[in-house]
Parts: sequence; C-alpha cells; structure tokens
Amino acid sequence: MTSPRDPLPLSGRQPRAVRSALAVLEEVVAAGPGVTAKEISAALRLPQATTYRLLNLLVGEEYLVRLPDLKGFALGRRAARLALPVTVAPPTAARAVVDHLRGLVRWGVHLAWLGAGQVTLVDPDPDHPPSDAALLARYPQASALGRLLLAEQPDWRALVRDLRVFTEYTVSTPAALTAALDRVAADGLARQCGELRADRGCIAVGVRAPGDGRLVAGLALSGPAQRVAEPNPELVALLREHADRLAPLLA
Amino acid sequence: MRDRPVVPRLRQRSPVHGLRRRGLGPLEVLAQSVSGAAPSAAMAATPAIVAVSAGGATVWSFVAATVLALLIAGCIARFTRRMAAPGGLYTLTAKGLSPGAAFACGVALLVGYGMLAAAALVGGATYLQALVLRLGGTGSVVLPVVAVVVVGLAAGGLALRGVRLSARVVLLAELVSITLMLAIFVLLLAAPLPGPDAAQPGPGLGGVAAGVLPALAAFIGFEVATSLGAEARRPFRSVPRAVTATAVVSGLLCVFAAQTQVVGFAAAPGGLAGQNAPVAVLATARGWPWVAPLLDLGLTMSFFACVLATVNGIARVLFSLGRDGVAPRGFGRTHPRFATPHVAIGVVAPVLVVVLAVALLAGAPLGGTLTFLLTVGTGGFLVAYLLVCLAAPVFLRRIGELTWPAVAATAVIVPILVAVLVAFVARSGGTPVVVVLAALAVAGACWFGWLRLRRPDRIAGIGVYDETVADDVLGADVVGAGVPGGGDGPGTGGPGTGGPGTDGPGTGGSRGPDARPDRAA
Repeated sequence: MTSPRDPLPLSGRQPRAVRSALAVLEEVVAAGPGVTAKEISAALRLPQATTYRLLNLLVGEEYLVRLPDLKGFALGRRAARLALPVTVAPPTAARAVVDHLRGLVRWGVHLAWLGAGQVTLVDPDPDHPPSDAALLARYPQASALGRLLLAEQPDWRALVRDLRVFTEYTVSTPAALTAALDRVAADGLARQCGELRADRGCIAVGVRAPGDGRLVAGLALSGPAQRVAEPNPELVALLREHADRLAPLLA
Repeated sequence: MRDRPVVPRLRQRSPVHGLRRRGLGPLEVLAQSVSGAAPSAAMAATPAIVAVSAGGATVWSFVAATVLALLIAGCIARFTRRMAAPGGLYTLTAKGLSPGAAFACGVALLVGYGMLAAAALVGGATYLQALVLRLGGTGSVVLPVVAVVVVGLAAGGLALRGVRLSARVVLLAELVSITLMLAIFVLLLAAPLPGPDAAQPGPGLGGVAAGVLPALAAFIGFEVATSLGAEARRPFRSVPRAVTATAVVSGLLCVFAAQTQVVGFAAAPGGLAGQNAPVAVLATARGWPWVAPLLDLGLTMSFFACVLATVNGIARVLFSLGRDGVAPRGFGRTHPRFATPHVAIGVVAPVLVVVLAVALLAGAPLGGTLTFLLTVGTGGFLVAYLLVCLAAPVFLRRIGELTWPAVAATAVIVPILVAVLVAFVARSGGTPVVVVLAALAVAGACWFGWLRLRRPDRIAGIGVYDETVADDVLGADVVGAGVPGGGDGPGTGGPGTGGPGTDGPGTGGSRGPDARPDRAA
C-alpha cells in the first residue's frame, strides 16, 4: 500500500545511498541470518555509521528484521515481495484430487499456491476459466483465494496495494475488508460475490500443512454470484473434504 | 568475518503476545505522544511559572528545554529504531543498564505516568469547573469530584475497549484544543495593547537556567508513544518520529505561547511572573470576555486527552512488569477480544479515581493538588529520562553499533539532567513533594529487595519486548531449524521457548500467528 507522494527527483548522493541499501540487502542474503552490522559494514567496506543508518532504515521498512539478540539481521517477510514466487506444478496425486472434485460439482474448481505471499494459480479449471492470473495476484482483497492469504497476515496492508473498485460490490474500505477478513479467519472459509466480475462469485478454503497448520494453498469453487451468496453447506463440506485430502500431498 | 553466523532461536509468538500487533497508523501513534505532553495546557500555564525565574528571558528557557527534550528524544530513538517495547523507557533501560537500574526506571515511570494521569484528571476537573462558573453555574466540590470519576472511568473504559479507539479519541480532542489555543494566541499577539514597556530586570544566565526545570516539565509525557511500539504498524519508523515530532511541536507551541505572554505583560509591573491566569487576563484587557470560556474548554479537552494517553502508557508499563514476573503476573494478561492489558487498566483507573475523589471530598484544593501531582510526576520522569539516556550508548555497545554521536549526546545530556534533578530536589526541599518521592523510592527499593531475595531469576531476565518471531522472518523454518538452541543472546531474557507470562485467554479471536494453532483443526 504505497501512498502517492510527490515524486522527488534523485539528487546528490542519493543514487549511491540506494545502491548501498541494495548491497546491504544482498549481503544479508549472502551471509545468512544472524549477520551483524559490523560484519556487513566490513564486508561492503561501508562506513559504520552509514551501515547502521541503512540497516535501521531497512528494518523500519521491514525488509530486514533484527533477530531476538538485537545484533543479528535476517530478511523480513516484506522482502518476499522483491522476488517472483517460484511456482511448482502440483503432484499428479493432487491434480487427481482436484479433478475428482471437478467431477462432483458443476462449478469451476481452481487450485492456487498461497505459501509465497501471493496468489499463484497452478491448476485453474480448464472448463470454467478463472479471472486473469495477474489480476488475482495483484488484487488479493477482491478474490476468495486472496482473502485466505490476507486473513493469514498479521497486517493485511503489507500485501494490498490499493483497494481498487471493480464492481459495485467490491469491498473498498479498510474497515470493511478488516471485517471480511475477520470472518474468513473465524470460519476458515472465504467468499466473494460479484466483487471481481459482477456475475461471478467464489468460495475458497485453505489447504494447511498437516504438521504446523501453515497455509500452503487454496482450493476454490467459482460460480454464478447469486448461487455463491447462498450458504451451500453441502458444497462447502465437499470443498473442505477435498482440501483436507490435498493437505498431505501439497505440504 | 565469522564463517557461520550464530542465530538465536526464534519464538513462535512474541513475548508480548495478546496485544494487537502492528495495527496503529503513524498519526495515531503521534497523537498518543502529543496528548501525553498536553501542549495546550503547557502553553497556558507554564510560561508564568518559568517567568518567576527567567523573567523577560522566559522564551530562552523554553528554547533550552526544547533542545534538552530533543536530545532525550534522540537517546530514546536509538532504542526505538531497533526494538518495540510496550514497557516504554523501563524496557529500553533494561536493554542497556543492569536490572536494578531498569527496575528503578520502571518505578520512576509508574510514578511519572500515575501522577501525570492524576494531575491531568484534576486539571481537567479544574478547568471544567471554571467553565461552568463562567457560564453562570454554581461552584461546589461535587462537580470536580463527579468530573474526576466520570472522566477517569471513561478513560479506563476507552483504553480497555481498544488502543485504536482511544488513540482516535485522543487525536480528535488534542486537535481541537491545540487549534483553539493557537487561535487565541495568534489573536492576542496580533492585537498588542498600547503602553510603555516597563524595563524588565535582566534575569541573567542563571535565571534562564533556573527556568529550564519548569520549562522541561511542560514536556513530560512526550515519550508515551514508546509504549505503543508493539501495536504500531511500522514501529521502528513511527515511534521515534512521533517522540521527536512531539518534542518539536510542544517546543514550538510553548516558545510561541511564552513570547505572546511575555510581550503581553511587558507593560505590567513584575511582568508575566506575577500572573495567575495570564491568558485570561490578556484577553479581558482587550475586552474579549468570550476568550476565557474557549480557553477553559480547550484546556479541559487537552487534560482529558492526557488522562487517556497516560492511562494507556501506565497500563502497558504494568503489563510489561507483569510479563517480566516482577509485578503480579495478572497484570500481564490481555483481553481476548479487545487485545488490551485489561487487568492493568482495570486496576489503575479505579485506583486513580478513588484516591482523587476521596482527596477532593476531604477538602484538598484543586490548584494545590494539581501542582503537587505534577511536581511529583516530574521527579519520576526526570529519573526515567536520566536512566534511559545513560542506557543508550551502553545498549549500542552491547549490540556492536556504537557511534560517537550517541556517546556525545549522552555526555551532554546526562550532566544537565543530573543538574536539573539536583535543582528539582533543592527547589522542593522541605515540601511534601520530597517526602512523597522519598517514600516512593523506599517502597520501590523494598520491592526490589524482596524480588532479589525471592525471585532472582526473574530480576535477571527483565525487559520483555516485541521480539521478532518466526512469522516475521522470511524463510524462518530454515533459521529456526538451522542452529538448534543457538545462543540466547545477552538480555533476550526468559527461557528459550514458551514465552514468559501466563497466556490466559489472550490468544482466542485475533488474527495472525497466535490464532493459527486453533484453526489448524
């Protein structure tokens, strides 16, 4: 969520500061978690005071974090946004589970990775094509799969760029989105009705690692918006059952 | 360079879990600090007190106090750019100095916030009564007592209901009151009264220096945003900025107010120093009777915002003491839905209200009580500031990031703060203030002695803060598993896993890492 500020032209020594900041980030990755400020300063031959300032800046922006001893640094969650998530095709056994669900319902069935902090469609329904993958990745707040991901974050603002309005139903205020995500967290079920396209809606449940409960993927059903708005208890049960079967195959 | 970095083990959840982590925007954090300092009240009241020592050079005393406040803010920022701690200065001191010094800072901070909250309650009640009298009401002891009870409990309720709500209320109240004050002062400055300038005796450097102590009292509470560290969205950026900005804003407002009042009373014999309610007198002299009620309204709101901000602050200090295990563990519990330290708030607010109500009903004068509470509170804050400024370079050395400006800042500020503290004790010599402070210090020392005897392990590990947890780190699984049992750094405190403090019902409904195990099923 970057707010539009007046764009300042780079001037004076700023280009060098930007280069140094990137070098510091790279050095933390290269040296591994736990590297200290002094070590970074020595490795990059940067003045110590400059290194400390850059580190505090990067920690302030949450690209880096200080480890509990307050000396060592590691990459923060936000740094994940600097890299494209690596997509791995799901194993055949997992695709079979998804296909099985497709055989049981007349809705579109989609599978997406959520582990890398982004919605990445890996098994979209060929018969009911979902919305554009880039759109889903960019506006997680408007899709059911994206809401699963956001409900998992300590602060959803870390992953939402702008609350763009697609249809008259799109959730467009921070308060409404917070309420929606609280519901997702409470029910373990995400829903959107006509928020991305007025005539379509979606429900989704998370696929969680059997061991630690970490969110790895999301399984979604998409259909006509007014049908999605209904409670559909048997559909939800079916969806949850298949998500549970996917868990050991994907995590 | 080392070949293999030592990675401290990451916890699954923050030691201060239960508070709503990373939720407050920068404006809400700033509002907290500004309200803690209550600049509107300082603008109206402190210049006259400072003028007793500094006379015509009152403005310079405020300039010096602002510089001091900025230096203190700089020392605090050395911590808050690196760690977020609900315990405020107490926890920060623990990361630099010995547990004993940190404990002393904790007690000083409890005294400071407690007295400031009480003073703000009395101040609010005082000006509310003045407002009612001006509007034709009748004065009695009932109104201030009712005001203290209602506002004290309302502040407790708001603080309990959620830090976001209380931050917004505080922001609104403070905005209104500062706007009112600025408008009044601009009007006063724009319409000077004609009259010959009575030559004011030059106060000399000594006078200016003596004025710094009361001027510094105008800033106390400006660091209260530190206690929202765990709850701010980008705490390492917003908290240090909020504290520094508050020092700047309060400083500018006070310098401006002092200038207005010094100029306004230039013609009066004795100048500003002899005045009891200088702003109201200035307005009445211009034939503007409507200014006085507006002034009272602004001051009432500012004081009440200050109550809310300081109750939030003191509750989080108590909460941290509870989590550290040096105060009853119950203080470390948080409300499952509101994510606030409800036990601490539930104890502090009623105690404040009852003690004040009883004192007022017993006939304690409003003005005298206000001055007394503020003076005792100032003593607490001075000790806390001194300790945190001492701790800053030690902390930086401990984590290997010491720079010479940090040493220089401490070298400058510590002797000045010691001098101010000595002046403070000398000035209040023989008054009940010193007796009360001495009693509080003895009580704190006894508490510490008991802990040393009975709970030496807890004393050694004090200073819980909002540590980086596994969920904050990219590729945490790798970090956590890489070096099992990797050294618990000095001062990380507590046993490696399972955070200190009872977990109570605190993890239930909140989103985030805490809630995850519940949802795995």
